[in-house]
Amino acid sequence: MNFELPNFSLIIPEIFLLTMICAILLLDLFLTDKQRIVTYYLSQLALVVTASLVFFYHTSVVIVDFSGHFIQDPLSDLLKIFLCGIVVVVFLYSKDYLKQVNLLKGEFFILGLFGVLGMLIMISAHSFLMLYLGLELLSLSLYALVALNRDSQLASEAAMKYFILGALASGLLLYGMSMLYGMTGSLELASISEQISKSDNNSIVLIFGLVFIIVGIGFKLGAVPFHMWVPDVYEGAPTAVTLYIGSATKIAALALALRLLVDGLIELHHDWQGMLVVLAVLSLAVGNIVAIAQTNIKRMLAYSTISHIGFVLLAILAGTIDGYIAATFYTLAYTIMAVGAFGVVIILNAENLTDFQGLNEQHPWLALMMLLFMFSMAGVPPTVGFYAKLMVISAIISVDLTWLAVIAVLFSVIGVFYYLRIVKIMYFDKLEDCTQVVKLATDMKWSISLNGLAILALGLYPSALMVLCTQAFVMSS
Amino acid sequence: MVALSDYLILSAILFSLGVGGIFLNRKNIIVLLMCVELILLAVNTNFIAFSHYLSDISGQVFVFFILTVAAAEAAIGLAILVVLFRNLRSISVDDIHTMNG
Amino acid sequence: MLLEQILFYFFATVLILSATMVVTSKNPIHATLFLVLAIFNSAILWLMLEAEFLAIALVLVYVGAVMVLFLFVVMMLDIDIATMRAHFIRYLPIGLVVFITMMVEMILFVGTRYFGLEQFAKPVAKSADYSNIEELGQVLYTVHLYPFEIAAVILLVAIIAAITLTLRHKPNTRYQDPSHQIHVDPKDRVELLKMPAEKL
Repeated sequence: MNFELPNFSLIIPEIFLLTMICAILLLDLFLTDKQRIVTYYLSQLALVVTASLVFFYHTSVVIVDFSGHFIQDPLSDLLKIFLCGIVVVVFLYSKDYLKQVNLLKGEFFILGLFGVLGMLIMISAHSFLMLYLGLELLSLSLYALVALNRDSQLASEAAMKYFILGALASGLLLYGMSMLYGMTGSLELASISEQISKSDNNSIVLIFGLVFIIVGIGFKLGAVPFHMWVPDVYEGAPTAVTLYIGSATKIAALALALRLLVDGLIELHHDWQGMLVVLAVLSLAVGNIVAIAQTNIKRMLAYSTISHIGFVLLAILAGTIDGYIAATFYTLAYTIMAVGAFGVVIILNAENLTDFQGLNEQHPWLALMMLLFMFSMAGVPPTVGFYAKLMVISAIISVDLTWLAVIAVLFSVIGVFYYLRIVKIMYFDKLEDCTQVVKLATDMKWSISLNGLAILALGLYPSALMVLCTQAFVMSS
Repeated sequence: MVALSDYLILSAILFSLGVGGIFLNRKNIIVLLMCVELILLAVNTNFIAFSHYLSDISGQVFVFFILTVAAAEAAIGLAILVVLFRNLRSISVDDIHTMNG
Repeated sequence: MLLEQILFYFFATVLILSATMVVTSKNPIHATLFLVLAIFNSAILWLMLEAEFLAIALVLVYVGAVMVLFLFVVMMLDIDIATMRAHFIRYLPIGLVVFITMMVEMILFVGTRYFGLEQFAKPVAKSADYSNIEELGQVLYTVHLYPFEIAAVILLVAIIAAITLTLRHKPNTRYQDPSHQIHVDPKDRVELLKMPAEKL
């Protein structure tokens, strides 16, 4: 057999991260609870260095190695750096909250970093095998993270529900993969794509496999009608974990969808387009309408996530380079606003919408930041959310799906209502009891301000991020 | 001779038994975990059958990895179950009504 | 050739029956044991597909480890069977509908029309000196090196997660500390005093 030794320097960031995780895992054993902050700083260091390594070895061409299991392209570099950056912010926001609720344990950071490793692997996956393994590495870490607060009944129930539905989704995804493997005889995405383009007689079986893959992806993304785990997990998990699931994992979800559908199954574009239309429209409808009825802020943001997933799916189903660029732009912009919105929730330790009452009197700056995040999620100019929605809509109009664009706009307008309700509660509702005082540590204040201003800056100069997203797809065109 | 379709039909039946079982045993978590194992067994049979009839080893390699991951998954699933049981004192989960997704 | 068919249909029938029992049985312990039976039968079918290593690994890993873990948990947690029956009857119609529709639709696609012997001929049986383990091992440590390493990481995560979730240090429990025990110095425990002998 012919086998070439792979170029190990391609996975230096992953190797470094894994080494750091093992080192932190060992070191954490010897720390007392008071010294636990060392684990936090080391985790941040690991993420920053990983991101720098990705940047240092970045590429402008497409490299496939490890016998077709690994791909490095501008898209993977962009997503990886962004992912590490988002998780740095997630850890930063989580630290004080975890100390408050007595969950500041090394396991949170270690499992969080393992999840990042899983996502890095998914982003660079170029075979069914690596996509599956990366996905499972992420999911297994998440199941444990959701149940991290062992004494909370709500958290363990949410973890169980997440686990069962996640395992079912993996099963469906695997069944679809097995059918496609049977029809193409390969696990590698490039040769699957090639085989599908060659054979046209058994396409009905390929679509049969595709259905299972779409359902699996739908579950993992949390698209309607496979969304039932999303609100429960967001509500039940510790807020720090909700922050992680609500922001960072969306980048991995985008990578999963792009790698599978675009790199592997682009020949079946016509078939998966129709399926994604259903998922996207349902997600937009259910996400935006049900969110109105929520009184719990985490559940409300969960339904808001579902509606944003609908937008990402819209962009992907266009099936053009512009569509993929829009999907990437939308996802990256969404993670920035989601991390900020959940950041404010975590600072206030809020559970219900009423916890935002009178925030403007207590802490005007924080209220202003929340206002920016809400405006951006609603898609109000001049925030980045507006441009993201604009790009998606122009991408689907350019493939003559104007009716979809109309539906998307319609539901976004409905969505504006519940985002603005939070703004109303913050600015116009009077606080009932003034016992709780909002305190902000210096690092939190700076990062939440930077986060909010990034929303505004990217909204005013969207071309900065747009260039990066465009470059990510230029090579693959 | 046994055709590929025989094996595929077998695993299709196993797969639907697993999925049907998830609906059937909604309140019995330990059997839910077993239904997940049934689904994975069906998928594995599918891969091995294809691998045999295509004379290609990579299907078996995939099964090797699914077995590994499934064992890890079962360990975590049972750990969550134990935590849940400690909180509920029973897994005849009549009491799971706090969640209504 | 007929023997092969008889064997296949026999083991496939037992497999489906035991899988049905897993899903419908009253007692979780019975369900676990039926799952063991189902796993044994699929292992035999995998042997017929010349996947010897995986067939043996399935029995070793699943029956030997995973199922024993299941049994431990089932017996550790006491389960109220009576209330489960009530729910079972309630969900029976939906479960049956899901099962039957899924099965019929899936069989339509994977039947002989697309996967019969004409499309996928039975490959020639491997010679007696063929080693399945060797072939797997050859690709596992070369072509599939990267996934192999990641699988190791997944197992590490499983260990960490399981310990994080279930390990509890109770403050009132008394532990033995072997390191402490062997480092005991006799001098700390027994003090030999020299006393002047008393004169009577």
